[in-house]
Amino acid sequence: MAEIRRILGVEGQAGHPALCVLPEIEKEDELFEIIWTLREDGNLSLDQIFQNCTLKDCEVILKDLAKTGWIDIKGQAVELLPKGDKRARELVRRHRLSLRMFYDLFALDGAEAEACKFEHILSPEVTDSVCTLLGHPPNSPDGKPIPRGECCAMFRQEMKPLVAPLADLVPGEQAKIVFITPGSHSRLDRLSAMGVVPGSIVKLHQKKPSYVIQLGETMIAVDKDITKEIFVKKV
Amino acid sequence: MHDHGSKEGATIRDTNLRKILLIGNPNVGKSALFGLLTGTYVTVSNYPGTTVEVTYGNAVLNKARTLVIDTPGVNSLVPMSEDEKVTRDMLLSDRSDVVVQVADTKNLRRGLLITLQLAEMAVPFILDLNMDDEARSRGIIIDQEKLSLLLGVEVIKTVAIRRSGIDKLLKGIQHPRPSPVEVRYDDAIEGGIRDIAALLPEANIARRAIALMVLSGDESLKGWLHANLQDHIVTEIEGIRQTTQSRFNNSLGYLINQRRMKKADEVLAQVLSLHEAGKGSAIAFHIGRWSMHPVYGLPILIAVLYLVYQFVGVLGAGDAVKFLEETVFGKYLNPWAAKIVHFAIPVPFIQELLIGDYGLFTMAITYAIAIVLPIVGFFFIAFSFLEDSGYLPRLAVMVNRVFKIMGLNGKAVLPMVLGLGCDTMATLTTRILETKKERILVTLLLALGVPCSAQLGVILGLVSGMSGLATAIWMFTLLSVMLLVGYLAAKVIPGEPSDFVLELPPIRLPQFTNILVKTLARVQWYLKEAVPLFILGTFILFVGHKVGALAHIQKITDPIVVNFLGLPSRAAEAFVIGFLRRDYGAAGLFMLAKEGLLDPVQIVVSLTVMTLFIPCIANFFMMVKERGMRTASYMAAFIFPFAFLVGGALNWLLRTLQVKL
Repeated sequence: MAEIRRILGVEGQAGHPALCVLPEIEKEDELFEIIWTLREDGNLSLDQIFQNCTLKDCEVILKDLAKTGWIDIKGQAVELLPKGDKRARELVRRHRLSLRMFYDLFALDGAEAEACKFEHILSPEVTDSVCTLLGHPPNSPDGKPIPRGECCAMFRQEMKPLVAPLADLVPGEQAKIVFITPGSHSRLDRLSAMGVVPGSIVKLHQKKPSYVIQLGETMIAVDKDITKEIFVKKV
Repeated sequence: MHDHGSKEGATIRDTNLRKILLIGNPNVGKSALFGLLTGTYVTVSNYPGTTVEVTYGNAVLNKARTLVIDTPGVNSLVPMSEDEKVTRDMLLSDRSDVVVQVADTKNLRRGLLITLQLAEMAVPFILDLNMDDEARSRGIIIDQEKLSLLLGVEVIKTVAIRRSGIDKLLKGIQHPRPSPVEVRYDDAIEGGIRDIAALLPEANIARRAIALMVLSGDESLKGWLHANLQDHIVTEIEGIRQTTQSRFNNSLGYLINQRRMKKADEVLAQVLSLHEAGKGSAIAFHIGRWSMHPVYGLPILIAVLYLVYQFVGVLGAGDAVKFLEETVFGKYLNPWAAKIVHFAIPVPFIQELLIGDYGLFTMAITYAIAIVLPIVGFFFIAFSFLEDSGYLPRLAVMVNRVFKIMGLNGKAVLPMVLGLGCDTMATLTTRILETKKERILVTLLLALGVPCSAQLGVILGLVSGMSGLATAIWMFTLLSVMLLVGYLAAKVIPGEPSDFVLELPPIRLPQFTNILVKTLARVQWYLKEAVPLFILGTFILFVGHKVGALAHIQKITDPIVVNFLGLPSRAAEAFVIGFLRRDYGAAGLFMLAKEGLLDPVQIVVSLTVMTLFIPCIANFFMMVKERGMRTASYMAAFIFPFAFLVGGALNWLLRTLQVKL
């Protein structure tokens, strides 16, 4: 479960485990995240939680959470109750959005420790702003889905997003690919073999009569639908 | 699979010659390099997907007899198309001594993606940076020594079309090495690689590379796995792949490519320097831009089509055919043949078979050589020119939206344009389309509505006697029928349309010799593939004539032709002939019109029906060959009644509205 340890920011930095010094409420948060992530992987059980938990008083906090109606524990089975589910979803959303932000905006790969701090700071309003700013990204950089927020559901974007679909560029504009949400796996494989991957600089050459994009010296004609799936940040 | 069964290829492959494999992205000048190395210049193409066939060539390099193999262009060695599969399979299954990776210097980033895969395969190779001149004119300079140091293999710079750098390349070929460069993937993927590699058999390429192909979800590798491993191990491997994939949201193939790209960028950053670009390519650049401009693109398209028509329709179908048919065959060859046959074979039946009205020589050969060959030859020249110039993919950009209506995308324009030359040949090239659905659709539309050049010649002769309105009605009917049938067929035929992702090569001035050799190769192909079908078709016609089947069919179709289409009884004859050769039918109509037996409405109606017919019996055989008997029969069963139906409807409409033509 390297994945979870990474999310908790305890991986990689040799000799520096848990980077967040955790007050009580943040310890709870970490547990919620573990439970959420385990549930995503389909591995949610009490033993698994203990295995992935780096906190000493893990068991005590779990019991508290059960007592106060956040979660439900029956033997090995653990379940997030509605208010617990909401809290976990928001936490994971904040964490993964933070990762996305460090990755996309500041080009910092492996900014787990920073994200770990951020997730506790962000207010709901700021979270939605970050989400909008980043173009409502569906995945965190490690490929885990970011739980959707209210802002993602709203079609009209009030704040001009920094990250937008390639289709929204004006012909002649240049941008850096931030992430791609492909309609199909094979489509993405094909594009990536032509150099269309996050990090590549892409220019929208024209929109009519067909969309044409340019990467370095490569010109590629593509369907409009495909340019809607490539999210870019103007440079 | 591909039939690279040219005799040379087959025999050459068996010998124990030193083998050199040329590999690279599409349009990097591989074929030009191949021509330089072997002395025989072969197809160099700009349209992604046309170098489907693998080309073999013999050469004496460094005093050693060598077999040079030109592979189809690839963007990745995890195949996404039939072409890429051919190339990958050659690396996987045929042991070669040297792999020469040819890269477009100005597009090195994408070349490196392949370099890294060759490194993973641990095959000995060298890297050739071709088109160095184009890169320089764009201000792109690659530090070749540094690159060589980073990759651990020989790196050579060439400009194949100017023969520059070939000496160094020949020297480099003697020192191929596997590259020690390694790309590290995500831990989970590395784990998957380890587990799968442990189960794989010994192969020509490193297990790690094969494991990465498996992880990338390479379906085309299944056959090889099953051939080399027991079924339960293949299942186990697939299990590992699925487990690894389940840990990521994105496809593994994409994640693997992404990591490779990152590595390629790291390498590139150390060897690439940008300088001020020269102005050499400015004109070509603008032509390239205008040719797919929403406004200027259209007049350019019309101008190109007009020039092609002037060249093929007027010069080829007019002057060249006239000369060959009337002078060469009419005055000399056919009379000679008649004399020889009369003298040598005194059996009247065989005489008639050879030189009668439906004679194999007087009809089939005359037809194939005197009429179709010059037209197709001229068309091939024009087509090769457009292909090498880089215009064709831009044409695809122009028409993409219209083709979407028919369940296709812009790429389908290639076989369609080719159909204007020869539908039979075009049906063969539907192979470049990605999905079965698209191939069926284009085959159908070609058979239904695209008149071939031989036919166009006769049709245009008829049209010239018609009013502008009549011509417009004919064209409008044809185009709307194609759109409608395409639209409906796309709904009926199962399957998904493919994505429109098409690389646009830069506009280049084609090389004359290149066009010539390419045209020759295609004419050769035409003679080999199409002429036997003409002979077969003529033979069937001959037999039909002998047993009186033609008269019989005519009797059946007569009422339809007279009552439903409102045409004179003799037009039925033209249709029956048209059944076998659409343009012969058109020629029959031409005669009728000349004799004043057709009024303008009748001309338009009969011409429409004739154009909608399957072009010729050779085309039908090609449909059977490419799509199978069942599909081809369905299409024929649809097209013939449908052509009459459209003709009948048009007749009724024009008569009812009392249109004056």
